[in-house]
Amino acid sequence: MKKITIFLTALLALAWPASAAVDWESKGMQMAGEVVANPAAFLYDFQQDLEGTTPLPPGKTFSVQTGLFPTLIPLTNLNLSGKYRLHGEGRIAPGLPQLDLIGGYNDVYAARMVARNSDSLEDAKLYGYYIGAILSASVSPKIRTFWGYKRSALRAKFQFAPGEELELMNTKIGNIDTGFKDDFLMAGIETPKGVRKFWSIQLNYGVATQTFATKVSWYGPHFELGLNFYPEGVLVFHPVWNFHVDF
Amino acid sequence: MKKIILSGLLLAGACDLYAAVAEDSHIFTPYFDMTLTEAAYLPSRGNIFSGGNINTQVGLLAKATKKDSFFGLYNFNYSGPAFQPQDGKQFTDRDMSHGFNLEYRRSLGEKFRLRPGVSYSRSFARTGANEAWQSGLYNMNSRGAQLSADYSFDFDKNGFITATWLMRQIEFPNYTDLLREFQNPSNTAETSGGLQDQSLTQISLRPSWNGFFAGYTYTEQKYKNQRVVDANTGVYGEKKQKDSSVSVDGGFRHKLWVLEFSPMLSYTMRSSNQNFLRYKSALATNFANMADGSNDVTMVKKNYDYNELTFAVPVDLNITGKWAIGGNMSVTRRVYTDRGARDIDNNYTAAKQKNLMSTLTGSIRKRMNDVATMRLFYSLVVASSNNKFEKYMPYNYNGNAFGISYQLSY
Repeated sequence: MKKITIFLTALLALAWPASAAVDWESKGMQMAGEVVANPAAFLYDFQQDLEGTTPLPPGKTFSVQTGLFPTLIPLTNLNLSGKYRLHGEGRIAPGLPQLDLIGGYNDVYAARMVARNSDSLEDAKLYGYYIGAILSASVSPKIRTFWGYKRSALRAKFQFAPGEELELMNTKIGNIDTGFKDDFLMAGIETPKGVRKFWSIQLNYGVATQTFATKVSWYGPHFELGLNFYPEGVLVFHPVWNFHVDF
Repeated sequence: MKKIILSGLLLAGACDLYAAVAEDSHIFTPYFDMTLTEAAYLPSRGNIFSGGNINTQVGLLAKATKKDSFFGLYNFNYSGPAFQPQDGKQFTDRDMSHGFNLEYRRSLGEKFRLRPGVSYSRSFARTGANEAWQSGLYNMNSRGAQLSADYSFDFDKNGFITATWLMRQIEFPNYTDLLREFQNPSNTAETSGGLQDQSLTQISLRPSWNGFFAGYTYTEQKYKNQRVVDANTGVYGEKKQKDSSVSVDGGFRHKLWVLEFSPMLSYTMRSSNQNFLRYKSALATNFANMADGSNDVTMVKKNYDYNELTFAVPVDLNITGKWAIGGNMSVTRRVYTDRGARDIDNNYTAAKQKNLMSTLTGSIRKRMNDVATMRLFYSLVVASSNNKFEKYMPYNYNGNAFGISYQLSY
């Protein structure tokens, strides 16, 4: 540990000669502009956080999952996902991969409640779903690769009362009525980290919109910690915390 | 920029196809390699930005008989915003590619193997924040074939030589010369499309033994439509553009006590018959003295010829079985053989242009298990050049980068 501290101190010393100021206001404006230009893509990144796109652990038949962060907290995104194993690896024939069905629905219900009690917001909806399937095959005692398909969709509508339209940095944005829909291909690899604990990395690629994301996840019997990367997104890193129960 | 895309594409294809090795007991052997890097970049000029790199390769080796097998490989690559060597890309440029390779492998005795194959790839390039991938000026489609021959000379120490010939037909479907279209407004037909379309041929010889490797690569690019600017008249002549490069490289990967070394050195000599006519402004018309570097219009013969030296010295110090401290120094030095450096007013000087980019990296690596590693890193980048005209591209800057990377390979 002492060596690591010395090392980090040395790195900070190296950073000094190349110091430069960060213009956070300008950066914020740039990010806000990207959100306004394509709000559906920005919102869909949060849906990907709650989507369960890893295979069921060996021996499990089905599972339920809910995204805790950043979906339920703080975005009040009520969400429920499920996985169901259609075929266990090698059950019908040796080497035949495991096949899981996956799917889920999410709805920012608080947005509807706010719209009901607000004079300036007439209508607010933000919801989405996904459905798909994952094939997984063990290639060694410690490695399982998985391949999948999912169809994801999202709908977002924010309608403001006349004269109360949304403004961002003195620019009138108006109403938001948008959506996102695409077919995704997935590929990943999973390796155990302990008893009923796994580590995985995967790529999700949207064929039509060319949206892509990578997910790095650590998961045990009940919780999943993840770091999702959206290289072309507004918020590139999404730390993720999900809860699941496997049966 | 397209040259960088091409070289990345070819290297990726050439190196990784050999990587998958069949296990004797398996008819099908999967191959998976995913590297993910995400970092924040803080340049001395400009604002903070983030960028990433994703490289995913999934393949399947199918053994038909003891001597015959097939290997299919899909490669997804994304290169996000990052600090770039001078005369390359803008910091904010991104590109994404899908590559498909199918290879047939035939063993000839114990020592020889032939690997004919076909390849197809699509690349997308993006410069603006919200530009659609499909409309990138440098989007590229490539298709072609290759033939590799392997000769194993030392089974105990993994000694082999690989000779490869490959050919690619490359199209840039969106590329157009806007200036030429602007200069000929009365013509409504598309007159400047396909200017970057080319056929590429490459031969390489790569020996490898006991962790040491080396290589010789010759690449030739013949443009189908792009013509050479005549050095005397300053207008396009009949001769078509032709580029070539010769590259030699070498290195090794070895472990000594608790230290892991993987240094690499390469030297590239690139030449092109294309010249460059520099206009100081869109309305510049003084063609009287094109040899004068401070003239409004200057002819630079063999503008694209250069020699480039690149080396990197990565070292990892294993503190425990899981943790390591890493350091890396990498340098890219490019010297143009004929192109003069420019002053801040865009006048050519007598000195030839020289670019230097040095990167010093410190990192902490955690080996998660036999197949996965994670690395936290900090890099200090120092880019310098005697070219002081930086209206469009930065040549002299410092930068910091902090990031995280994961690698999982099977």
